[in-house]
Amino acid sequence: MSADIKGILEGLNKKELFEIANLNRISIPNNWSKSLIVELLALNVTIDSIQKIKAKPSEPRIKSEGASIIIIKDLVKKFENITAVDNLSLEILEGELFSLLGPNGAGKTTTINILNGIMKPTKGTANIAGFDVTKNLDEVKKIIGLCPQEAAVFKFLNARENIELFGNLHSVSKKELEERTDTLLELLGLEEASKRKAGSYSGGMLRKLNLIIALISNPKIAFLDEPTVGMDARARRKTWEFIGSLKAENKTIVLTTHYIEEAEALSDRVGIIDYGKLVELGTPKELMERHKAKNLEEVFLKITGRRIMEGI
Amino acid sequence: MKFQALAALVEMELKKLIRQPTNLFLNLLFPAVLTIVFIFAFADPELGMSINSVVPGLIVYAVIFLIMTIAQSFSSEKQEGLLKRLNTTPMTSAEFMGSQIITNMLISIVQVAIVFTLAYFLGFRPDSGIGGILLALPVTAIFALSSVGLGLITATVSKTPEAATGISFVFILPQMFFGTFIPITSTTQQIATFVPSFYLLDALRMIFEGNWMKTAFFLDLSAISIVSILVVIIGIILFEKYGST
Repeated sequence: MSADIKGILEGLNKKELFEIANLNRISIPNNWSKSLIVELLALNVTIDSIQKIKAKPSEPRIKSEGASIIIIKDLVKKFENITAVDNLSLEILEGELFSLLGPNGAGKTTTINILNGIMKPTKGTANIAGFDVTKNLDEVKKIIGLCPQEAAVFKFLNARENIELFGNLHSVSKKELEERTDTLLELLGLEEASKRKAGSYSGGMLRKLNLIIALISNPKIAFLDEPTVGMDARARRKTWEFIGSLKAENKTIVLTTHYIEEAEALSDRVGIIDYGKLVELGTPKELMERHKAKNLEEVFLKITGRRIMEGI
Repeated sequence: MKFQALAALVEMELKKLIRQPTNLFLNLLFPAVLTIVFIFAFADPELGMSINSVVPGLIVYAVIFLIMTIAQSFSSEKQEGLLKRLNTTPMTSAEFMGSQIITNMLISIVQVAIVFTLAYFLGFRPDSGIGGILLALPVTAIFALSSVGLGLITATVSKTPEAATGISFVFILPQMFFGTFIPITSTTQQIATFVPSFYLLDALRMIFEGNWMKTAFFLDLSAISIVSILVVIIGIILFEKYGST
């Protein structure tokens, strides 16, 4: 065991230790003490993987002012006897990266589906850039990009063909389409496999393609529904970096995720949703301060009484 | 309707046809196999059938199987969340359905060409000559609209591609028994008048016998057109309302 590595690990907080474990595909139970985790990691990780975690941007950008681009008011969605979204009211600011956190069945995807016009709300309204999603859906569709939870890509087409198809449906010009396709494929590390049929891709590659398709039209608002689920730790981290870089383009990003560290690292603000209700809202820092918690996982546990990964 | 979107969708549908083995088999290889097997099996004077009477039935046979491939394709795209995703793009319903109609009409034309080519080598010589063959192409393409409509209706009620395969036979079998080359009795003739493929079969026979200038042909053509357009409209409405997500 290297004393240097152990010394560095001891100087990190528990969240950072879990990130290093994820990066190295090491599974650690949540109830392990910090010293036990340090012992395990010191035996199994290299100094490089520790430096990668330490080098990442630490504080999320905080945005507390700006115009609301998404306004959700008293939104309700019922499926027979089940209320999936229960009087949800929320405003998302232009240019912010907003994460919707919640366990399975909390109503995150239903909310996203309503905002994308896939589902109609039972009650309430949702406006995107001034357009009502139930009345002006055609206008809404021009400015949004959806990365759905399932990797919805045509398996008989290769990555380029998939991307170009969706770009053409968004009326992206040929030149812009070529340029954006090249850029996005390169940024997400899919350029080498871009001429292979998507049917031969791994789960992680399909996820990346799923994400590229959502962004090919350079949408003003991107809805990313669990974009990194099923990716290995390395691919997940690379994708997080990519999603984080979108903030520089002043895009509004609505992200739903089970990975609480993803939300913590990337989000300007976080909304915690449980049983269809918005139970907490604020910047990650605000939430941690408000609930006297060390991280968002703890905030989530205090609010909902459950861990976010339960039942997954 | 934007040409860029329509062209991209048609291109995708054609790639689906070529790259998916099931589609390729059912749409292009199946008519070829059917032509060879059925001509050898049924085009026999002892059975009371000539090659000229079998070929129109083979064309109908090929086109009615489009119902199955269309239903399977829609159900599978629905199951994989692809239709949902397509619906979040600015693509209009007219562009999407238009691409389906264009692609399947093209496929039906290719199917007719395959059947003709193989049948020609096996001795098929229509009285109408090349003119009749050329006329058969658009008439069959119009009938393909009804297959698109019935495929959409099947996909509307099917949750999985497997279910779509089974349910599609509800529409395929009656057309197969009453509107291909299987002999019709005076009793079954009554039922056949309610089956769209019966009119295509009758129209094709008249074309190949050189009787396409007769009133009866235009009545058949009217029946094919009206029924096909109605069925495709009903299919589109039902699928968009109940089956697209």
